[in-house]
Amino acid sequence: MIAVIPVRDGVPPAGADEAIGEAEGEAVFIGSQADVAAKELTNHGVRFWTIEADLDPNAVAIDVAHVLSTLDRTDSVVLPASPDGRDLAPHIAHRLGRTLYAGAITVSDEHVSVSVRGGLAIADHQPAGPFVATLQLGVRGSERDERETIITAIPSLVSSSGASVSSAVRSDGVLPPDVSTMDLAEAPRILGGGAGLSDGPAFDLLGRVAVALQASMGVTRVITDRGWASHERQIGTTGVVVDPDLYVSFGVSGAVQHTSGLGQPEHIISVNTDAHCPMMQMSDLAIVSDANAVLRELAARLGVEAS
Amino acid sequence: MTAPAHDFDADIIVVGAGPAGSCAAIAAARAGKSVVLVERGPFPGSKNMYGGVVYPRILDELIPSWWETMPVQRWVVKRSTMLLSDTGALNVDFRANAWGAPPYNGATAYRPDFDNWLANHAVEAGARLVCSTTVTGLLRDSTGRIQGVSTDRPDGDLRAPIVIACDGVNSFLAKESGLYPHTDASNFTLGVKETLALPKHVIDERFGVRDNQGVDIEILGGTSGVNGGGFIYTNLDTVALGVVLKLPKLAAQQKRPEQIIAELKRHPAVAPLIEGAEVKEYSAHVIPEAGLEMMPTMVADGMLVAGDAAALCLAAGIWLEGVNFAMASGMYAGQAAAEAITKNDVSSRGLSGYTDRLEKTFVLRDHKKLRKVPHLVLSDRVQHKYPAFVAGVVERVFRVDNPHPKPGVRRIVREERKKAGIGLLDLLRDGWTGMRGFG
Amino acid sequence: MTITVCIKWVLPNRDGDERFAGISLADQAALETGLRVAEALNESCTVITVGPAAAETSLRDALACGAHDVLRVDAPADTDSAETARALATYCEHSRLVVCGDYSSDRGSGSVPALVAARLGRGQALGLIDVQIVGETLSVVRRLDGGRRERLSVTGPAVLSVEGSVARLRRASLRATLSANDAIIDVVTNDASGAIRRTPEAAPLRPYRPRARVVPSPTGSSALDRVRQITDTSSSKGHGETVVLEPGDAANRILESLHTWGYVQES
Ligand SMILES: Cc1cc2nc3c(=O)[nH]c(=O)nc-3n(C[C@H](O)[C@H](O)[C@H](O)COP(=O)(O)OP(=O)(O)OC[C@H]3O[C@@H](n4cnc5c(N)ncnc54)[C@H](O)[C@@H]3O)c2cc1C
Ligand SMILES: Cc1cc2nc3c(=O)[nH]c(=O)nc-3n(C[C@H](O)[C@H](O)[C@H](O)COP(=O)(O)OP(=O)(O)OC[C@H]3O[C@@H](n4cnc5c(N)ncnc54)[C@H](O)[C@@H]3O)c2cc1C
Ligand SMILES: Nc1ncnc2c1ncn2[C@@H]1O[C@H](COP(=O)(O)O)[C@@H](O)[C@H]1O
Repeated sequence: MIAVIPVRDGVPPAGADEAIGEAEGEAVFIGSQADVAAKELTNHGVRFWTIEADLDPNAVAIDVAHVLSTLDRTDSVVLPASPDGRDLAPHIAHRLGRTLYAGAITVSDEHVSVSVRGGLAIADHQPAGPFVATLQLGVRGSERDERETIITAIPSLVSSSGASVSSAVRSDGVLPPDVSTMDLAEAPRILGGGAGLSDGPAFDLLGRVAVALQASMGVTRVITDRGWASHERQIGTTGVVVDPDLYVSFGVSGAVQHTSGLGQPEHIISVNTDAHCPMMQMSDLAIVSDANAVLRELAARLGVEAS
Repeated sequence: MTAPAHDFDADIIVVGAGPAGSCAAIAAARAGKSVVLVERGPFPGSKNMYGGVVYPRILDELIPSWWETMPVQRWVVKRSTMLLSDTGALNVDFRANAWGAPPYNGATAYRPDFDNWLANHAVEAGARLVCSTTVTGLLRDSTGRIQGVSTDRPDGDLRAPIVIACDGVNSFLAKESGLYPHTDASNFTLGVKETLALPKHVIDERFGVRDNQGVDIEILGGTSGVNGGGFIYTNLDTVALGVVLKLPKLAAQQKRPEQIIAELKRHPAVAPLIEGAEVKEYSAHVIPEAGLEMMPTMVADGMLVAGDAAALCLAAGIWLEGVNFAMASGMYAGQAAAEAITKNDVSSRGLSGYTDRLEKTFVLRDHKKLRKVPHLVLSDRVQHKYPAFVAGVVERVFRVDNPHPKPGVRRIVREERKKAGIGLLDLLRDGWTGMRGFG
Repeated sequence: MTITVCIKWVLPNRDGDERFAGISLADQAALETGLRVAEALNESCTVITVGPAAAETSLRDALACGAHDVLRVDAPADTDSAETARALATYCEHSRLVVCGDYSSDRGSGSVPALVAARLGRGQALGLIDVQIVGETLSVVRRLDGGRRERLSVTGPAVLSVEGSVARLRRASLRATLSANDAIIDVVTNDASGAIRRTPEAAPLRPYRPRARVVPSPTGSSALDRVRQITDTSSSKGHGETVVLEPGDAANRILESLHTWGYVQES
């Protein structure tokens, strides 16, 4: 297995170390300043190839296919399920004519398990041949590799052929994290709300109870999708990565895409009607109760007024 | 199907796709009229709750062999009445295995399944169903004649010469049209219900049934001092257990309905039936209980009222029937509305075929006969004194107190009546009302 | 040239109740975005789904919301991503923009939009959290990791996917809802390259369980340091306590724990 790591301005994506670990230390870094990113991860790998290129998906697919054939590699390819990894992997799979397993939890030549249904279920697959997969962030963890890393630069086929990639989509630059995200990213205490909060008023209480407890408010994607909170409040793979001391969740199931952004809180309390969901399993105190009612009771005890 | 008259979107608008609304739509569409059936839920029956037993005999007319396709949980073959005192219980059972075969009698069914099935028949008959749409008012022309309804959708006015209100208890439409004079809380009861999951074989064993045979138990007493009654119905792998509580009493007693259910579940006669069951669902809904006493005017110019909207539910002690009354009244309303369109007279006179039908059939006859029964059954005496009295009598009749000889039944009755604080005259009077009412 | 919106009709669980089926919030946002862009650019809006006949309820809803055309490509509900993308690409070939949701509610891999872009050789802007129409151009924001975002301009044919928060689907008018009920839905059973291939036996599902995480190997200079490191990292969450409580007691219990752990002072 070989990992493909998309790089932006020398920064490797979240989950690069895990994808490289899954590929036993062999990876192709592609993107702008791919070599910088490769050096940063040397203590996780044994054999890295770097390609300096644009992150245009169609061009990346051509380059990756070219490198693999030059290296005579016909084994499976794994990318991190980071935003860039997720968006590039289908192009690579299409170009190589291989099956794509997106959002995998485990990856091996005989068996791939993929998280489906909003992270609540796993689908098991037996691949018929080499495939392309993206690996869910935070599910694997990574180990250090003390062996020496050999880094080889390879020219980009697309850029050297002078073929300019013309696309109707032009990047106007990367925006840094929003300042309003920072309070969440660095918050020592977070109250998290999920789909178990049944309506707007119940959800409003979450923010106010959080203030009373000097905590920040975070949410799951279900809440941002409902339009109850802005995107900067979303914790997880496609949101903000946090690392608080205290996390108190209300009606959060603990889907892998959420918990992968949660860090390693010292203390976790969860309120949920389902005692067996992943969020409850990873809590120090798991309370089976109606989250909406518990929030109302908390508000009353903390002197928070219902609006 | 006839095209609706100029300026109208349909001949008839039916509001609410519960049993009343769907039957109204089926009947009117079958008569060739253009019908729109408006439902606020995402699909018919999605939010509707009830105890759990339907008596669909009336469907013989609309859906021949309905039992072949109706989504049934179990066919009721056993009806029991349970009289609960604090610790004792008197059970009167009636079993008819014939009810478990065509043409059947009653069945337990889930409302989301049953209502959806019935509404599909309306659609097949040609009615147009719109869901996720709430009717918010009546449209009238400058002379005040009803011209249709407004809804909560953008561009949401819908025009028709006749509106049939089947929007359930506390009908917003009947009220808005001025057909509902009194909406006194004392005319309503609150129904609350828990759905309890148990494996099918456990239900079969505990209730003494098998395959798709079911049981219907009505309960008098056991409602923690709040006037009302209870019920237990068997579904395939759930049991519905609920209480029906008189609203003013509930408020006065300061008890929460879920407490009352919890106490009923602990009663020694009930507990073994549901032991180990897991609560799957809790729901509550208001029931029009006072019967004939509270019925609104059912016909106005351009408007008919059917089902619970017309307070046609029969909640009289050992009977808790509403769906059959809703289906029948809905069907008659649909037929009468179609006739009125054909005659081109949508005034209340043109629509009077509806009340004629109600008067001639069980819909109003049962209500007339049982007129006084709801009051009797929910009276303080029946509620608080009779269960203990009856249970006391029976307990002593069956108690073996050797070496004492068995006392005479008459003496037991007298002593227990005094103990329960029931005057002889009251007993006779209630007996008489009951005989006339039920008999 | 049209704007094509792709939506996936999904059962709530594998052999779930069709009455509760529907499209994801992201697909609803895609539909709203597609309708708005079509209005702004004066194009027509076509909505496509690859799925079984029951999926037509979602197409009717789309019609009621203002889609000009709808099309169902007949296929089983569990058709895989590659096959779905192949079918979609066939019917999106001539459209100016293809707007997808960021995820479908069952598979949820978010891979179909990129597979469509790959097949069409088009540019893509995926996982959008903001879409603005500026004249003939779309100015969009795409999420990256670590809270960073990328601003993109979309000037020509491309495939977009939007997150559910981008737009709230409008409520269809009553009249449109009624006429959508009676509309005849176009269905294709074949596409240019032949009938939809039946997907291989759907993969078995089981409840989600986290996999065991790799523990980084210790790096300390002394043996004791290394042992310490291992014991520290693996001291991550033992199983906590699970209690069933009434809401009031639950609130008390939470405050009590926060107090014990030193997060709040006794009031
Ligand atoms: C590519 C991709 C990226 C994603 N990125 C993210 C991300 O960054 N962040 C993120 O959060 N998600 C993300 N998701 C979505 C993720 O998979 C889950 O769908 C989401 O996290 C679930 O949110 P939830 O826990 O609020 O909802 P659900 O999974 O629906 O859980 C709701 C929980 O509430 C409980 N509950 C229900 N009623 C009550 C009640 N009355 N009282 C108490 N508890 C109750 C239920 O038991 C359940 O456990 C992503 C998904 C994909 C495919
Ligand atoms: C606890 C309880 C137990 C019961 N047990 C039984 C029993 O075992 N057997 C029995 O036969 N009966 C029983 N009943 C009575 C029975 O439920 C009702 O009599 C019956 O449902 C009446 O039918 P309906 O069609 O008139 O009204 P409903 O079933 O209430 O239907 C009204 C419909 O109108 C819709 N609606 C309301 N307002 C609007 C609006 N503004 N716009 C659009 N749509 C609207 C609603 O969504 C609903 O679908 C019970 C009732 C309760 C509460
Ligand atoms: N069967 C389908 N028919 C139409 N569009 C689909 C289908 N499956 C996926 N899509 C589109 O692709 C997006 C991502 O889906 P998925 O890759 O399944 O997570 C969805 O939000 C839809 O816009």
